Amino acid sequence: MTEFLAFTITGIVTGAVYAVAASGLVVTYTTSGIFNFAHGAMGMLMAFLYWQLRVHLHWPAPLALIAVLFVLAPLFGAVIERILMRNVRGSDTGVALMVTLGLLLFLIGLALTWWKQTEPRALPEFFAGHSVRIFSVNVTWHELISIAMAGVVAVVLRLLLFRTRTGIAMRAVVDDRDLTALNGGRPSRVSAMSWALGTMLAALAGILLAPKLGMSVFNLTFLVITAYAAAIVGQLKSLPLTFAGALALGLGEAYAVGYLPTSGFLSHVKPSLPMIFLFAVLLFLPQVRLRIGRVVGGRSVRVPSWREVGVAGVALVVASWIIAASLGSADLASMGQGLAFGIIMLSLVLLAGYGGQTSLCQMTFVGIGAVVAAKISHGGSPIGVIAAAGAAGAVGAVISLPALRLTGLYLALSTLAFAVLADNLFFLQVFGGGGGLAFHRFSIVGISFNGDVAYTVLLAVVFMLMAAFVLAIRRGPFGRLLSAMKDSPAACATLGLDLTRTKVAVFALSAAMAGVGGAFFGGLRGSVSSNDFIYVQSLVVLLLVTIGGIMTVLGAFLGGLFLGPGFYVLGKIVHLDALTFLGAGLGAMTIARSPNGVVGQISGVVDRFRRRPAQPEQGITGVEVIEEVERVVAPVG
Amino acid sequence: MSLLSVEEVSVRFGGVMALQDVDLTADPGRVTGLIGPNGAGKTTLFNVITGLQDPTGGKVRVEGKDVSGLKAHQRARLGMARTFQRLEVFGSLTARENVLVAAEIHRRWAKDGSNPKEVTEQVLERVGITDAATERVDAMPTGLARLVELARALAAQPRLLLLDEPGSGLDTQETEAFGDLLVDLAHEGLAILLVEHDVELVMRVCEVIHVLDFGRKIAEGPPSQIKADPRVQAAYLGTDEEAAPDEEVVRQ
Ligand SMILES: Nc1ncnc2c1ncn2[C@@H]1O[C@H](COP(=O)(O)OP(=O)(O)OP(=O)(O)O)[C@@H](O)[C@H]1O
Ligand SMILES: [Mg+2]
Repeated sequence: MTEFLAFTITGIVTGAVYAVAASGLVVTYTTSGIFNFAHGAMGMLMAFLYWQLRVHLHWPAPLALIAVLFVLAPLFGAVIERILMRNVRGSDTGVALMVTLGLLLFLIGLALTWWKQTEPRALPEFFAGHSVRIFSVNVTWHELISIAMAGVVAVVLRLLLFRTRTGIAMRAVVDDRDLTALNGGRPSRVSAMSWALGTMLAALAGILLAPKLGMSVFNLTFLVITAYAAAIVGQLKSLPLTFAGALALGLGEAYAVGYLPTSGFLSHVKPSLPMIFLFAVLLFLPQVRLRIGRVVGGRSVRVPSWREVGVAGVALVVASWIIAASLGSADLASMGQGLAFGIIMLSLVLLAGYGGQTSLCQMTFVGIGAVVAAKISHGGSPIGVIAAAGAAGAVGAVISLPALRLTGLYLALSTLAFAVLADNLFFLQVFGGGGGLAFHRFSIVGISFNGDVAYTVLLAVVFMLMAAFVLAIRRGPFGRLLSAMKDSPAACATLGLDLTRTKVAVFALSAAMAGVGGAFFGGLRGSVSSNDFIYVQSLVVLLLVTIGGIMTVLGAFLGGLFLGPGFYVLGKIVHLDALTFLGAGLGAMTIARSPNGVVGQISGVVDRFRRRPAQPEQGITGVEVIEEVERVVAPVG
Repeated sequence: MSLLSVEEVSVRFGGVMALQDVDLTADPGRVTGLIGPNGAGKTTLFNVITGLQDPTGGKVRVEGKDVSGLKAHQRARLGMARTFQRLEVFGSLTARENVLVAAEIHRRWAKDGSNPKEVTEQVLERVGITDAATERVDAMPTGLARLVELARALAAQPRLLLLDEPGSGLDTQETEAFGDLLVDLAHEGLAILLVEHDVELVMRVCEVIHVLDFGRKIAEGPPSQIKADPRVQAAYLGTDEEAAPDEEVVRQ
C-alpha cells in the first residue's frame, strides 16, 4: 500500500509538470494558430539558462528564477513570435511546421554548442534535502512545489483567460482573428503575448523537471512530445482536459516504473509511454470534417521532360564517376552520403511535395529498411533491397492509418512519436545500445560494387532510377490524383475517392522508398547503429530537402548535397559540433519566405532572367474578391 | 420513389439554425430549383446531401435507402456529383486534367472499363470548354472555372447532379447556353438540383422550385406559382437582404 501511494505521488508530481508544459503548448496553439514543435526545445534552453545563472554564476534561486521566468522566457517567446511566426501566419500549416521544426533543431544545436554534453551538469532541486512525510511516504519540497505550481498555473490561466481583457482578447483571436481586428483588437499583440506566456510555461516545466531528468539537451527537448500527448486529450484546445491527460500520463508512467519488470522488452515501455498514450488517444479522436471554402494556391513547379531527365541522369552518373575517381576516401564518403540522403529525400518529395502529407519519421523507415536488408544477406542483394522496401512500406501503412483520418498536424505528431517509439523499443533492441549491424556492399548478377568509387557511382545510378520513378508517378494518373487531393480533398471525396486509402497508399510507398534508401545507406556505411536513425535525424533530412525544394526531385538532390558534401566542407571552415542542427534549423526558419526552397529561388531567378512574367499565383483569390463585391451590389434574385 | 429525398433535415451552427426540418426531392429527368436569399441554408443543404456536413437531425435517402451513415466518397459512388459555390477546383492542374482526374477516380471505383481520356474529351466538348482545356484553372476567370467544375462533376457520370450557383460569373450569352445544357442533361435522364441567384435562369430551366428562407422551406412549386407567392416576394424584398451579404463577407 505504501508502495502504491509512493508511486501515486510520484505520478501526480510528474503529471503536474507535464500539465504545466502542455498548457503552454495549448495556449500558444489556440491563440496563434501555430503548433509549436519547438516548445520543448524552448523549455530546454530556458532550463539551461537557469542552470547557467543558478549553478554556474551562483545566483540565488529566487533571483535566477525571476530572471528566467519573468524576463528571459517571455522576451524570448515574444521575439520568436515577432521575428519568425509573423511571416508564417496565413501560409499553410506545412510552412509553420517547418519553421517550428527548424527552431527546434536550431535550439538543440545552440544548446549543444554552448553547453557541451560531455561536461557533467546537475541542477539542484528546490530546497534540496527537505521533505515531509505524507502517509508514511517521503515527499520532497521540490515535489510539493511542482504540484503547487501546476495548481497556480491552472488558476492563473483560468483567471487570465476569463477575467482579464487580454485573456478575453486571446480567446476572441482564437475564434476569429479577422473579426477581432475589425473590432479594434490587436491580434498580433495578443499573439506575441501568448508566445511569451507559452515560453514561460515551457521554462517552468523545464526547470521543474531538469533536476530529475538531468541536464540532457535531448531529454528535455523531448518534453514536448510528452506535453502534446497530454494536450491531445483536449484536442489541443481544452485546458481542463489537457490537465487530466497530463495527470493520467504522469500516473501511468509512475506505475509503469513501479510495476513493470526492470529488464527485458517491457522495461522499455516506460520511456515510450507518452508515445503509446498518444497513439491510443489518436485512435479515439473523431474523424475531422472535410473543410471546404478554402482557396488553395496551386504552387507547382514545372515537371522536367523525359529528355531533360535522361540528359541530367547521364550527366550525374558520369560526373559522379569522374569526381569520385579523383577524391580521397574521406571526401568520397561525404559524396556517397549526399547521394544516399538524396535517395532518402526523394521519398519525401513523393510524400510531402506531391502528396501534401508529412512524415517526421522518415529515418525510422530508413532504419527499418537497413535492419531488414542487413538480416537478409547483409544487405548486399536485390532480395535484401526488396525486403527492405516491403518491410518499411508495411510499417508505414500501419502507423499512418490512425493519423491519416485526422489533419496534417496529427500526422506530424504521430510520426514524430513513432520515431521516438522506434528509437526506444526497436532500434535499441536490435542494436543493443551502441552496437552495429554489418553490411556487405551490393552485388547483382555477379557484379559487385565493392570499391568506394564503384559504390558511389552505383548510388548515383540508384538516385537517378528513383528520381525517374518519382517523376513517372508525378506524370501518371497517381501523380495527378495526388495534386488534385492536395488542392481539394473535399472535391476528391465528392467524386468518390477514398481519401484515407489514397493517403495510406502514398505514405506506404514513400516509406518503402525510404526503406530502399536504408539498404543502400547501410551498404555505404558498412555498418549502421541506432544513432543513425534517431528522431532528430528524420528532422534534419526533412528540413534539408525542404530547403532544397521539396516539390522537385532536384530539391532532393540539392538536399542530399547540403547534408553530405555541404556540411562536410562547411565543417572544415567552421568548427562547431552541432553544425548540421544549426545549419538545417537556420535554413528551415527562412522557409516562410520561399516555400519552394532553393529550387524555387533558382527558377524565380531564371524566369526573371528570361523576362518571362512569373506565373500568376492564386488567380482565383483575386477573382473571388471581385465576385464577392459583385455579390454585395447585385440585387439578390 | 424519388432518386433523392431529404427528410426533415436540420443543421445547427452554435446559435444559428442553418436548416430547420427541410424536405425536398429530386427526380431524374428534370431540374429542381433551390433558391433563397443569402444565408438561407442552400449550401449547407448541399453539404448535408453530399456528406460533407452531418445534420443535427433528419435523413437523406437515395432511392429510398438511408445514406446518413455514409461518408462523402461512399455517397458519390451512389451516383452523386456536385459543384461548389466557393470553388474547389484543382488549381494547380489544367482544365483537362481536372476533368481527367475525375474520370480516372470514377473508373477506379466503378470498374466500368470506361476510357478516362475519351470521357474527358466528350465532357469538355459538351460543356464547351475544349478551347480552354490546356489552361491552369487557378488562372481562369470564375465563370470558366465554374464550368470546369461542372465538367469535372459530369466526368464522374452521376445520376444526381448538385450545382451550387454555377451561373455566377457567366455573361448573358453564356448563361443562355448554360441553361440549354442543363435542360438537355435533364432530358437525358439526369436529376439536377440547382442553386442559383439568377432568377431568370431558374425560372426558365426548373420544373419545380423549392424556396428556403432562414433555414426553413417557405414554398415549393412550379415557377409560375413561386413567382406569384407572396411569402417568396417578402423573403426576397425583406429587410434581411441588406444584412445577408455582409454576413457572407465576414464568414470568410
Ligand atoms: N461552417 C459554418 N459554421 C457556422 N455557421 C455556418 C457555417 N456554414 C454556414 N453557416 C451559417 O449557416 C447559414 C446558412 O449558410 P449557407 O451558406 O448554407 O447559406 P446559402 O443559402 O448558401 O447562402 P448564399 O446564398 O450566400 O450562398 C448562414 O447563416 C451561415 O452564416
Ligand atoms: Mg451558398
